[in-house]
Amino acid sequence: MTGNIPLKSRGNIEDAANAALLISVFIGVWQIIFMLGIWPQISLPSPATVAQTFAKIILNGSLPQSVGITLARLLGAFAVSITLGTLIGFTMIKFKGFGKTLNSFSAGLLSFPSIAWVPFSILLIGFDEFGIMFVVVMSSIFSIMISTYSSIRNIPTIYIDAAKNMGAQGVMLFRHVTIPAATPSLIIGLRQAWSFAWHAIIGAEILMSIVGLGHILSVGREFLDMSQVIASMITIFAIGLLVDRFVLQKLEDRIRKKWGLDNHR
Amino acid sequence: MTKLQAKNIVKHFDHNGTSVVALDGINLNVEEGDFICIVGPSGCGKSTFLNIVAGLEKPDSGEILLNGNPISTPGPDRTMVFQEGALFPWLKVIDNVEFGLKMSGIPKDERREISQRYLDMMQLTKFADSYVYQLSTGMKQRVAIARALAMDPEILLMDEPFAALDSQTRDLLLVELQLIWERTKKTIIFVTHNISESVILGNKVEVFKNRPSKIKKEILIDYRRPRLAEDENLQKYYHQILDELKSEVIARTKDDAQ
Repeated sequence: MTGNIPLKSRGNIEDAANAALLISVFIGVWQIIFMLGIWPQISLPSPATVAQTFAKIILNGSLPQSVGITLARLLGAFAVSITLGTLIGFTMIKFKGFGKTLNSFSAGLLSFPSIAWVPFSILLIGFDEFGIMFVVVMSSIFSIMISTYSSIRNIPTIYIDAAKNMGAQGVMLFRHVTIPAATPSLIIGLRQAWSFAWHAIIGAEILMSIVGLGHILSVGREFLDMSQVIASMITIFAIGLLVDRFVLQKLEDRIRKKWGLDNHR
Repeated sequence: MTKLQAKNIVKHFDHNGTSVVALDGINLNVEEGDFICIVGPSGCGKSTFLNIVAGLEKPDSGEILLNGNPISTPGPDRTMVFQEGALFPWLKVIDNVEFGLKMSGIPKDERREISQRYLDMMQLTKFADSYVYQLSTGMKQRVAIARALAMDPEILLMDEPFAALDSQTRDLLLVELQLIWERTKKTIIFVTHNISESVILGNKVEVFKNRPSKIKKEILIDYRRPRLAEDENLQKYYHQILDELKSEVIARTKDDAQ
């Protein structure tokens, strides 16, 4: 009977079933631990209590509002990060010595914890939107710079030779060969930068904000409301997963498929 | 009429800090409509020479004249078919063939028409909308040839384009290439390390001497076409070239052993 279902959607159904199974097991284990009574209810609420809290903060609008604010900040900062990071990456390609030096420095800053930017940002910019966005930009831009730089440098010379041989040069060469040839690798850098940005925004909101997802997480802590803490954590997890799976990975898969990069056995 | 002239081309390479002479004064005259095969032991610098003709590398001294004018940069008047095809995986087959035309600023409709014509010629019409990874190695090389021909170059440069093919596909393409040459009257320089390939294709075969390389001998092959790989009358040319190359290969082996 399954023969009538196209291969692709069969794969999707399988994925969904596996995901549902994993979630059920997780909730089951949680419920068991809760029933064992190791921790008081205030420290570890039951799945049902967290579900109630979820319903409450969705209905009173605080969760949707927080998600909206956090995503708006994140997208704004990420756009700045991509634009500036790419431009600096191009400059690094253009001026080789500069590129090499900056690449080593950026690699150091890549492993620099995003939270460590917070005090600097508070003193430099302040407790406002721009302060938060600054932390996000600083946490993700180096990843974009390094990935732009190395993606372009690693393009097989044969593509560039072939293009020059057919008369491509300057802007045309860059636009029609350099950029597309570097794309599969650029996308990987983009995914990495996204995950850095996501870490950074939550951290920055916990410490610097009076609204947003990170903020309702820390409010949960202040009011000893563990169910709100867990509900916020689940939301953070879910958004990170959904964006990566359904936006970035989709994009990467499409490019890999077109290039035939998934065909080796 | 002389199409292309190589005048005393010299090229050095830096090999672990010592300078190695790769090309030691190459002189070559290519007449319009020539099918020139350059054959030599691997590492003899024949691909380097072709890259210099293409303008992808610069000689240390000497010059290349195309229709009497010196050239130093790459250009669509000398299109190259690379060993690995060098097709762009992000473009469909037809867009690959159109690439050079697009770079030359030819309008879309005209581009389509030209590329369609060369795809037809290479029997690739059905694959116009495929991506590169969906093609076999032989088909990829046919696309690469179509792409180079679509530019209508003054001279077609081919750098061991059939080296990675299985022998059946290669034999087929050897015949196709001869037919294309007769039909388009293109001037071709074809680099190979495979002697039979050079005998089947070339009307002149230039035998390259080992490092420092020079042209050791030019062998004219005046024989009907299309020539087939199994044609026994080609044997005498084959042996003539083999004799020239044998001493080179032996010298090379000794060189490498030291």
